[in-house]
Amino acid sequence: MVGVAYDCLANPLGAVRSSFEKVMASDSDLASFDGKDWGAIDLFRNFLFDQSGLSQVPILNHKTIKWVQPNTLVRFRGMIQDMLGNEFYAGAYKDGTVWRTNKFMDVSRFPMGSSSDMRIWERRLIYCVPVPGQNSWTESEAVMYRSVDCEFQQRDKRPRSGDEAIDSMDSLVSSDGFQGSPSAKKMRENEHPSQATQFQESITGSACSSSSWELNIDRDSLSCIVKIYDSPESDLKLNEVFEFVGVLTLDSEFQVDKDEYDEFSNGFGEDALVHFPPNKVPRLHCLIHRKLAVHDLLQHSPMMEPKPDLVKGIREALLRHLTAVLGNDDLAAHFMLFHLLSRVNSRVDTVAVGKLSLNLTRFSKESVSVFGTQLSLAIKNLLPFTHCLPLTVEYLNTASLAPRKDYETNRLTTGVLQLAEGTHLMIDETQLQSGTLNSVGVENARLLKYLMEFQKVEYDFKYYKMEIPADIQLLILSEGKSNILPADLVLPFQPSSVGSSETVPTEALEAWRWYLAILRSLPHSIDSEMQKVIENDLVEARQADRSLGSQDFSRLLTMGRLMSLSLGEACLSLEQWQMVKELERLRRARLQLKT
Amino acid sequence: MASDSSPVNFNDGPSSPDDSFSSPIGNTFSSPAEASRRRRRRRSTTPSAFATPPAQQSRFATSEATPTPLRSRHTNTNGRRSAPSSTPMAAATPSSTDDAPPSSEGGEGFDMDEDRPTYVWGTNISVNDVKAAIVRFLKNFREQSFQNSESEYHLEGKYIETIKRVLEVEGDSLDVDALNVFDYDSDLYAKMVRYPLEVLAIFDIVLMEMVPLINPLFEKHIQTRIYNLKTSTSMRNLNPSDIERMVSLKGMIIRCSSIIPEIREAIFRCLVCGYYSDPVAVDKGKIAEPTVCLKEECQARNSMTLVHNRCRFTDKQIVRLQETPDEIPDGGTPHTVSLLMHDKLVDTGKPGDRVEVTGIYRAMTVRIGPTQRTVKSLFKTYIDCLHIKKTDKSRMLTEDQMEVDNFPGGSAEDIIFDEKKVEELKELSKQPDIYDRLTRSLAPNIWELEDVKKGLLCQLFGGNALKLPSGASFRGDINILLVGDPGTSKSQLLQYIHKLSPRGIYTSGRGSSAVGLTAYVTKDPETGETVLESGALVLSDRGICCIDEFDKMSDNARSMLHEVMEQQTVSIAKAGIIASLNARTSVLACANPSGSRYNPRLSVIDNIYLPPTLLSRFDLIYLILDKADEQIDRRLAKHIVSLHFENPESIEQDVLELPTLIAYVSYARKYIHPQLSDEAAEELTRGYVDLRRRGNFPGSSKKVITATPRQIESLIRLSEALARIRFSEWVEKHDVMEAFRLLEVAMQQSATDHSTGTIDMDLITTGISASERMRRESLLSATRNIIMEKMQLGGPSMRLLEILEELKKQGSGSEFHLNDLRNAVTSLASEGFVALHGDAVKRI
Repeated sequence: MVGVAYDCLANPLGAVRSSFEKVMASDSDLASFDGKDWGAIDLFRNFLFDQSGLSQVPILNHKTIKWVQPNTLVRFRGMIQDMLGNEFYAGAYKDGTVWRTNKFMDVSRFPMGSSSDMRIWERRLIYCVPVPGQNSWTESEAVMYRSVDCEFQQRDKRPRSGDEAIDSMDSLVSSDGFQGSPSAKKMRENEHPSQATQFQESITGSACSSSSWELNIDRDSLSCIVKIYDSPESDLKLNEVFEFVGVLTLDSEFQVDKDEYDEFSNGFGEDALVHFPPNKVPRLHCLIHRKLAVHDLLQHSPMMEPKPDLVKGIREALLRHLTAVLGNDDLAAHFMLFHLLSRVNSRVDTVAVGKLSLNLTRFSKESVSVFGTQLSLAIKNLLPFTHCLPLTVEYLNTASLAPRKDYETNRLTTGVLQLAEGTHLMIDETQLQSGTLNSVGVENARLLKYLMEFQKVEYDFKYYKMEIPADIQLLILSEGKSNILPADLVLPFQPSSVGSSETVPTEALEAWRWYLAILRSLPHSIDSEMQKVIENDLVEARQADRSLGSQDFSRLLTMGRLMSLSLGEACLSLEQWQMVKELERLRRARLQLKT
Repeated sequence: MASDSSPVNFNDGPSSPDDSFSSPIGNTFSSPAEASRRRRRRRSTTPSAFATPPAQQSRFATSEATPTPLRSRHTNTNGRRSAPSSTPMAAATPSSTDDAPPSSEGGEGFDMDEDRPTYVWGTNISVNDVKAAIVRFLKNFREQSFQNSESEYHLEGKYIETIKRVLEVEGDSLDVDALNVFDYDSDLYAKMVRYPLEVLAIFDIVLMEMVPLINPLFEKHIQTRIYNLKTSTSMRNLNPSDIERMVSLKGMIIRCSSIIPEIREAIFRCLVCGYYSDPVAVDKGKIAEPTVCLKEECQARNSMTLVHNRCRFTDKQIVRLQETPDEIPDGGTPHTVSLLMHDKLVDTGKPGDRVEVTGIYRAMTVRIGPTQRTVKSLFKTYIDCLHIKKTDKSRMLTEDQMEVDNFPGGSAEDIIFDEKKVEELKELSKQPDIYDRLTRSLAPNIWELEDVKKGLLCQLFGGNALKLPSGASFRGDINILLVGDPGTSKSQLLQYIHKLSPRGIYTSGRGSSAVGLTAYVTKDPETGETVLESGALVLSDRGICCIDEFDKMSDNARSMLHEVMEQQTVSIAKAGIIASLNARTSVLACANPSGSRYNPRLSVIDNIYLPPTLLSRFDLIYLILDKADEQIDRRLAKHIVSLHFENPESIEQDVLELPTLIAYVSYARKYIHPQLSDEAAEELTRGYVDLRRRGNFPGSSKKVITATPRQIESLIRLSEALARIRFSEWVEKHDVMEAFRLLEVAMQQSATDHSTGTIDMDLITTGISASERMRRESLLSATRNIIMEKMQLGGPSMRLLEILEELKKQGSGSEFHLNDLRNAVTSLASEGFVALHGDAVKRI
């Protein structure tokens, strides 16, 4: 019923309000809504998922921000970069005799009365950024409604006209709000179209004249403050990738605040917010959020069962592709496949089980420019989040790899290594010259090594370091075995031909992406008989070669798991184990081989 | 006026931290401020139209029953100070009281209608009841221990005594332990936590009335500071229901604002006639500037100006507190909260300090602009700080309280073990396998190395330090050296111990200099005085100093360790400073063998390659070698396979949690001081004699010194530590036996003479094994013989190589090297038997 009266898409706040009024009309106890939803979320859940309205919701990004209107429903996909703590707000208040709610909005519509008739609720503030290193193929082609071209001529007048626009919006909003009463409802419906036009115009005008939204937002920096309601803390974790569906607001609150910004108010305020002017960082009042896995990012995700035959076919094709990219180095292609499939599947104490970093050696500056570029391109096409790091002395000495807490602004300043789960990081060490590392450089080198060994990044909180678990696939290209970055797998790279730059059909790419995304997260086990075999093999190997340690064993077992996973099987077989041992033997043989 | 700033009421300030803010729940009570102001004014010499009549003074001094004796020249005549303000917020604080009928200007006060209970608006607090309860509490509360004794009647209540003490030192605050309140009157405690503003105000009133009874001349106002609440909230769990309640939080200070002077009372002067106004008090964070000169003859408009140096200010500071790392859940970032500090609390903490704060959680609305009345729907939250205590619980408890806060309030409190915890620990100590269990719990992720862990456990617990009346002292700290192949997780063990130990310092040998370890003298850049800066060893007094890469340390730096490791002091004599600093620290060092991998063909000493003087100071020297053992390999393989394919939870061992372990060790170190039992002493003697005799195995004429007196000291320390592990006050025989076992396990690895296979302490104390010494002696005598045979006194000299040839011919020294020979000849030369010039030997 409510859904009919209010368009969840264009006027979500109206829907929220009316559902609240409805609930209040049925004599519910307001206190029971402290930290709970009264049914508004269900309304939207129903609209989004049962009526499949989700696809109609525009995704907020640097393109759509130009035409998406405030106070409408949008989607935002991003990584949680920082948490700004909780915010208390007057959740419900009495306006005369009627209870109103402020949930999902920034500024109250009506003047608030005395404090006794008010309930204080809380919401969480989360700062989200686009996932670092996100590749363009993951961005969905949202339906473009229209694009507004703006002239920037009025730029110097910006603040003033901006204010005007907001004022007009405010008045509009309040007139909108008064029509909540039943008598006005009919009237409002009649006038709705015109109002909407007016609304759009005012926004368009505002966007054009102030133009700051698109001015300051380039591709990678559309970040967003998401306000989360009533969800347990453990739901949302740092560096996780989420899709938020919520109400986009353009709040004017801090534009005025900045005038009286001084140390004093700063000491109390949500400091961080001051540094996010709302015209640069939109606010999103989140109604529904869900965690995104890699396969959620696939465009046309073929909903296939990972059947062994199918999987094997894709695997062969992908291996062929990798072999071609790696200049016919079949062995390297195999290890590359393992590497791309690896992830941290569990942590026991400090050991991150399942990681498999790869170090391809015998690269020179020349071969890097050929194979490295190809490889990086190929990986970009296969994995959603990739990142490249050219390692030079200068870079090490200057870059800020670890995120650092800035207590002046009370924010977590991001670093290169603040990456989403499952990001692929390629480090090109061939450009590393001899030179002196300063303290920053030493620290950065240590961080990289630590990440390599434990899959953890130390975030610098000035007074202490906090270890944040990461799950990053690390690929190192170097001339000799990398000393700074001891990888799990070291393999001398032996190309026999210059890699072909073949064009890969899109269908094949999509199949491969699907393959890598799905198989990575498949469960896997090993039966007790096989365990015995492996144990015996390991003991035997160690008796023969004392230099083998727990790391080597770990690597073998990880490879075993990945081998059977890559074939789409959930259980390691003897045959696969033999294949792993053979691969390892070949690798060792190649290591012995001196050029 | 400056001295007058101290009696400013504490509770008054928080209500209005800034002009543009106001509390959503109005400030309900601020009477003490009014009262103190009145008191202050009473003795003020400021020409005031409202100088208090003398009659009132006497009345005040005696009137104990006067409830909320509030009165001021402003119209806020009732106790709740519901001033006729234009702010709508103020309307939120009407009072249902009738205790304050508007009094006349000269106000002789009023008598309250005793029959009608007064309730603070919106609460169930009856002013009189609470007041009576507080008076009862302050007067009658006594510590439990005193209560059953006869002297009860002679002793005054704990807080009466405390108040007297505060008066003596002219303090300005009374610290009240909330637990005491709870023990005495749980209802009062509940009210205090629920309505802190109101109850604290009454607390202050009570104090104000009590103080003149004790010392009528005492003029300052004493504030109540509550601390040690029963429950401590996590910053993360603060929620809207906590607003306006008393909360207690732990956290780390991350930022302090500069000190903000906050005006409390303003004095205005008329620019036209020079008339000084009366002090104008702050009301809701505002000061009403008189628009018209109050002097009747003048009455100039807009002529009043603020006289800064006659206004009264208080200190205020905003401090940001952040969650401690251990409270942050996985995947979260730390939360922060603002604290508002006043007066004496200002600058009690500095960034980086871990503190426990008791205060009132408050929220205030935010106005959109300073000039606008409209408020946003948002609230800013902060904590009005009542009490702050520095804590550091992340490490093991230190024995002395050097670093406890010097803040007057909390200093009596150190980290006490509550009884429940102690019971738990004692229960734990009674388990028969506690020794093994603790060993397992120590660095559970490090594979094997059981005996090393046992040694480290002993180091954590430590022995008893002994100081004889004669001044000789015996250390109780156990020093351990780990020597081992690379990749045998030595450094991880070190890191682990470092995390666990009290005041541990972790250094790397390569990066440490001698002065960095001990102490150094510098010139203070500001004053130019020479000052002593402590180094790592001094800083880890009563802790464990972990030194990684011990072998990479410069000899100079290493030699500094000699004194520390036996005498436990660092003596400095330089630049006009002669000092001896305590460095009662255990040293845990680890080193790689000299060839970075252990070479079994070389002797242990050659492998360790450290000066023997230093080695003998280590109680236990562990050689951690990577030995080929199929059993161990199999266990390792099994472990790793299960790591990969089983549910990680299922392989969790039965280990103690780290906090439990820390508590266990701390408790033992603090409260358990075991003594040697007769039986144990006997066993110790017997074992030691045995150990010394062991060198004389049958069929060997060589006398190998097996143990030294240093070893018996080590053994005593180890046995004491082992008794401590069991929470036993007596060292039993089996402790001594285990100590012997540990020493042997360590020594068999470290002091095995590879040419004889016996334990050889000489190897460690002089660096030369007994068999080596015999070999040298035989070389020496052979050389002597050759020289006697071949050379005449004053005859031609011989080359060393020639002598070596001769030796080889005689067949006695086929394995001698030129260097050995050179050594032998040198010692002959020192006897005056021969002269050595370059390579030429000449008999003298």
